[in-house]
Amino acid sequence: MSTITLNDTHNNDHHDGHDHGHHKQSFITKYVFSQDHKMIAKQFLITGIVMAVIAMGLSILFRIQLAWPDKSFPFLETFLGKWAEGGRIKPDFYLALVTIHGTIMVFFVLTAGLSGTFSNLLIPLQLGVRDMASPFMNMLSYWFFFTACVIMMASFFIETGPASAGWTVYPPLSALPKAIPGSGLGMTLWLASMFIFVASQLMGGINYVSTVLNMRTKGMDLWKMPLTIWAFFLTAILGILSFPVLVAGVVLLIFDRSFGTSFYLSDIVMGTQVLPNQGGSPILWQHLFWFLGHPEVYIVIMPALGISSEVISVNSRKPIFGYHAMVYSLIGITILSFIVWGHHMFVTGMNPLLGGVFMITTLIIAVPSAVKTFNYLATLWRGNIRFTPAMLCAIGMVSFFISGGLTGIFLGNASLDINLHDTYFVVAHFHLVMGSAAIFGMLAGVYHWYPKMFGRMMNAKLGYLHFWVTFICAYLVFFPLHFLGLDGVPRRYYAFTEFEFMQKWVTVNIFVTWSAIVAALAQVAFLFNFFYSIFFGKKATQNPWEANTLEWTTPVEHIHGNWPGEIPTVYRWPYDYSKPGAEEDYIPQTVPYSQTMSSNMPHDFEGNAESERIQREWDAKNNPDKADVHFH
Amino acid sequence: MVHTLQQEDLIQDADGSSKAKKFILWLFVVSSTIMFGGFTSYYIVFAASKGKGHGLVLPDVFIYSTLVLVLSSICLFFAAKAVRNQNVQTQKILLWFTLILGATFGYLQVDAWTALYQSGATLVNNNAAISVIYIVSGMHLLHIFGGLCIIINSLWGAYAKVSHPTAVYRIEIASIFWHFIDILWIYLYVFLLLNS
Repeated sequence: MSTITLNDTHNNDHHDGHDHGHHKQSFITKYVFSQDHKMIAKQFLITGIVMAVIAMGLSILFRIQLAWPDKSFPFLETFLGKWAEGGRIKPDFYLALVTIHGTIMVFFVLTAGLSGTFSNLLIPLQLGVRDMASPFMNMLSYWFFFTACVIMMASFFIETGPASAGWTVYPPLSALPKAIPGSGLGMTLWLASMFIFVASQLMGGINYVSTVLNMRTKGMDLWKMPLTIWAFFLTAILGILSFPVLVAGVVLLIFDRSFGTSFYLSDIVMGTQVLPNQGGSPILWQHLFWFLGHPEVYIVIMPALGISSEVISVNSRKPIFGYHAMVYSLIGITILSFIVWGHHMFVTGMNPLLGGVFMITTLIIAVPSAVKTFNYLATLWRGNIRFTPAMLCAIGMVSFFISGGLTGIFLGNASLDINLHDTYFVVAHFHLVMGSAAIFGMLAGVYHWYPKMFGRMMNAKLGYLHFWVTFICAYLVFFPLHFLGLDGVPRRYYAFTEFEFMQKWVTVNIFVTWSAIVAALAQVAFLFNFFYSIFFGKKATQNPWEANTLEWTTPVEHIHGNWPGEIPTVYRWPYDYSKPGAEEDYIPQTVPYSQTMSSNMPHDFEGNAESERIQREWDAKNNPDKADVHFH
Repeated sequence: MVHTLQQEDLIQDADGSSKAKKFILWLFVVSSTIMFGGFTSYYIVFAASKGKGHGLVLPDVFIYSTLVLVLSSICLFFAAKAVRNQNVQTQKILLWFTLILGATFGYLQVDAWTALYQSGATLVNNNAAISVIYIVSGMHLLHIFGGLCIIINSLWGAYAKVSHPTAVYRIEIASIFWHFIDILWIYLYVFLLLNS
């Protein structure tokens, strides 16, 4: 009762601007140093989008170089100055472009932008919590992230340019400041930025885990949590367990760079000068890096998997197929992800026996991944599908996850990987399975929860345009790269015209580059839609997708504390869609079984004899057929 | 009606949130342990592949610093007991002892580095296993500084006469963290002793 009354007040308030009755906040505390998880989520999202646009711009720059290696583009010199003298991107800058593109996309967009946005938004809202365990730490998490972004971007404004050792920053390129221009100040800034970034992720992740485990509302036991929350929760655990190892590796790298230790360095001659560093091993960096690096790719994909589960179930108007299997496969992926890192290092002279072990653990990951894929498809099967833009993106996510995942089976085999390692086949594989899939999961989330974030709807027609062009172009960009890789074309090479055997692929590169340019232009539709709708979109109703989860019981207009009255109690799992016998095709989690007597199933009561007896009596009186079927 | 419900909610939230905050610290302990796990794994893989460890007799100062740190932990344990018994005077004295012993530990670690340096086992070294000694003890020392700040916070609370639940909360936070870095150092020291 009270909830409804207060909702109305808030809706009316809106016309007077952004004042909420009981929370007078200044511009600074509301929009800048906000401790409200919903505002922090928006900050993460918008920062993530800005970083994504930058990283996409960088990719277009190096795609231009790959397609037309001998052609001059005077406008590049206008923008990039001495990094593109004569209108051609310099080799050093090309390496910087791929490095920073990878770093931004993996860490800043798909880790912070994805987890940061949706964990922050949905963990409190879907679990019935007023705010995170530590809102202050949550705020710090965002501002550390922001600082990391600024430092990373600052490296474009220094003499020697950004880091150029690839996003994995293998030593010795990263450990010797004089190795290449990008090994200098740019690399230092990269390390500083990542250090701060890890701190940000740890603060965020620790907060998410603590909130999920300690602060759920009444009735919300772990097995009633939406799959989104399971995914964010396990993602945060992955982060807590793997990011510290990267810190350890980075600390040692910093000492190698700046204090002359030899953790990763040995037997190096630069020019004519023999370096004093002896006894270290660059392979040890790879171990430390990939111990984070592999879980990191699951940190990227698991939130997308969780978001897709929710979006696909809501828009198929069907319960998610195999809820428990979905959770156990997420747990399986989480555990397995820690014992597969060696598959990135098959060609480092690893003992073949050890390689075999890593190969087996890697291939086992196909099992939980396939379970998830089949469950998505089974959820869609004969569903009453609503093709919203979010739904299309979620289906797109499943598509990329399949087509990219299949090539993972090739690469996981040590014997095949020796051939395919560091070729475009790898580039094609991870851009589909973790790049495109995760981006589409993120876009599904943005389209789906936009009304919750901004109180307005995004334009669906622009959404369809954006989806189809991006979806088709993503395949046109990444699919041909498989064939380059099978032909042995190495990644990160600057000019395809320099090598006889690569020259025949230049035409393919031109096609790929044009596809990338079209895909980039399609993002204008999204960006316009996103920012225009914040101010002028159609007003959202409280539950626009007719979904079951708790976030749609909060008022459209945000308030600090989320629910104006008591926090709702949860009685059922989140996937009661199209339940036989129910009046509507969805039953929110807040509806007790006593209000849905006509649709209750025996297993709903989890063996509670008293409830089963009441139901039996009701069925006998009102619905004799059903009583016969379910309760002999 | 609505109003009372909200107040009850808030009280519940405050309880839940202090529990959740303690949990946050535990998660920090986990992630910090893993970072040191990263360093020691580096050491193990390095030593295995090179067939050599740091090969040093660690300076005796490390024994004394370890004893001092254990002693500080014992003091903190009794300080926490005093807080629960609301014995503010004992709490203050014991916390001061903890603080001084903690600072002494820091001094002794630096002393140990000097001893190492003078024996020729420098940070910049072609045996990375020796450099690791400096790295792990240095990173551990950073934790000690953090721990000292938390103990000062608790001590400050005793002088500012904060409420009993707040005092208990602060000393619990301090205890979790300080005992953790105590055990962490013992692990690191034993690790370095065993893998010479």
